[in-house]
Amino acid sequence: MSEEAGDITVTPLGAGRFLVTRGGRQRLAYGTHAGGATWVFLDGDVTVIGPTMARARTTAADEQASLAAPMPATVLAITVRPGQKVAAGDVLIRLEAMKMELPVRSPRDATVVAIKCREGELVQAGVPLLELDEA
Amino acid sequence: MFTRILVANRGEIAVRILRTCRVMGIETVAVYSDADARALHVTLADRAVRIGGRAPVESYLSQAAILDAARASGAQAVHPGYGFLSENDAFAAACAQAGLVFIGPPPDAMAKLGSKTAARRLAEAAGVPVVPGAVPGDQSDAALIAAAQQVGFPVLLKPSEGGGGIGMKAVHAAAELPAAIAQARREAEAAFGDGTLYVERLVARPRHVEFQVLGDRHGTVVHLFERECSIQRRHQKVLEETPSTAVTPALRARMGAAAVALAKAAGYANAGTVEFLVDGHGDTASFYFLEMNARLQVEHPITEAVTGVDLVRAQIEVAAGGPVPWTQEQLSQRGHAIEVRVCAEDPRQGFLPQAGVLALYREPSMPGVRIDSGVREGSEVSVHYDSLLAKLVAWGETREAARQRARHALAHYPILGIRTNVPLLLRLLAHERFVAGDLDTHFLQTEAAALVPAEDTPSADARAVAALVRRGEPAAPAASDSATDPWSSLGGRRV
Repeated sequence: MSEEAGDITVTPLGAGRFLVTRGGRQRLAYGTHAGGATWVFLDGDVTVIGPTMARARTTAADEQASLAAPMPATVLAITVRPGQKVAAGDVLIRLEAMKMELPVRSPRDATVVAIKCREGELVQAGVPLLELDEA
Repeated sequence: MFTRILVANRGEIAVRILRTCRVMGIETVAVYSDADARALHVTLADRAVRIGGRAPVESYLSQAAILDAARASGAQAVHPGYGFLSENDAFAAACAQAGLVFIGPPPDAMAKLGSKTAARRLAEAAGVPVVPGAVPGDQSDAALIAAAQQVGFPVLLKPSEGGGGIGMKAVHAAAELPAAIAQARREAEAAFGDGTLYVERLVARPRHVEFQVLGDRHGTVVHLFERECSIQRRHQKVLEETPSTAVTPALRARMGAAAVALAKAAGYANAGTVEFLVDGHGDTASFYFLEMNARLQVEHPITEAVTGVDLVRAQIEVAAGGPVPWTQEQLSQRGHAIEVRVCAEDPRQGFLPQAGVLALYREPSMPGVRIDSGVREGSEVSVHYDSLLAKLVAWGETREAARQRARHALAHYPILGIRTNVPLLLRLLAHERFVAGDLDTHFLQTEAAALVPAEDTPSADARAVAALVRRGEPAAPAASDSATDPWSSLGGRRV
């Protein structure tokens, strides 16, 4: 089984390795599935095709209303309360992961509607931490 | 000599220490948290002892748990690696009290050097130049602000205890101070249990050049030359090399003598690193003592590459009471070595640390390349520990040969399943300023636009491989679900 697209030929070599031939020139690539997406490594560059990219777009859109943890993290501090008006760039919540502090900032001027996490809590990636009013 | 050593660490450094112990015919004891039960370092040791929960305070930072493991396993010595308990003088003293040899400096030397204030006084007394700065005895905001004004802006706020860049904040004007003080204090307290801050003058275009030293219990100290560590992000090193392009033989001799003088003044033994800030380059450059790291450094392999020694072996030998294995005259630098730190972080998302499973992970093997890693294919990268996966060290007869080897090895180092900084490291190694050796500690920040990879725009070649990967996969539920089909989720993109 090999894939031909234009003048590119890809031949699987097993164990996630692929030989990419284009115009007689051969290169070794690696590919696998992970997290519902397809990952490819070729000459030091990584390409991820699939839901990871789609999810990134969804998250950006959702940021208008609710703010989610970018990765599993511990909630260090919640620096706002419901009803409070905040400006774009204000730090709303401070997270800590892998010994680094990650500030969650407001994407725009808004009012805080609800807080959905507690200080000290370990939160998962994508879980909403806080809700802002509609833009 | 010891017959059994406990390695009180995890990840790549635990693996690296275990390897030397095995070469020396010394039995090894690994320790692990619940997150690491199947980690690489655990499977490489002769024995393994569970020491507690996932959070570092419950395991790798628990002195009681580690001492219990050492007693239960019959170890005679403890190697702390770097980070965790490595620079904790109370732990070193507790080891001695428990009849264990701590493979590191004496506790009193650690105590003197662990505090930046005491280390600075020691340097001044030993005639080693220091950067203007102060640690106010009164740690109130007002006193810290007054100290900053006296030192002169821009200033750097640093935790008095600890290192690794945690809690350090550059402040350019008095107005930024209150917020920076609060954050630095909080990070210092969280990381080191002590919020005492140090205020220091910031040099405009500094280089970070450090010297490796090794001392024995008989008063002998030698240095093993410099490491250039200017490529940093938020004071975390990303790439290190030796020799430094800024250091000439005369400057090397002056800095090496200063490093040895400081170590002797501290009553230092075992491996340590004296960090200097270098202003300018060549014979006329100025250098200032920054701090001494009382432990083995992450970047020690580049020193091993150019000197040909095994620093962990030397640490074990001097801890067992032996002399420094070489005279200063016997040590020399041959060729050039470059280390890059391969980290689970996404440069495009502000270097956000990444967690997950290494679905595909293959280390390259080629002449002049050494990889120290703590993971293998299938390993889970956890949020509980730092993001360093591996260190890739390339050696060559010249800097250019080492640079080419590093690039080639990285381009054949596939890591899939989580994002890493490999694409950034490749761009860094190809950057014209790096090629020219024109470095300072702001390099990564200044050149960020050229170094951070652009959004994924899958090449025709990568798309062709992806198509085959998908077709070759057995019909797993997630893969056959049309809602998650990669092509449909690409929207209007023409493929």
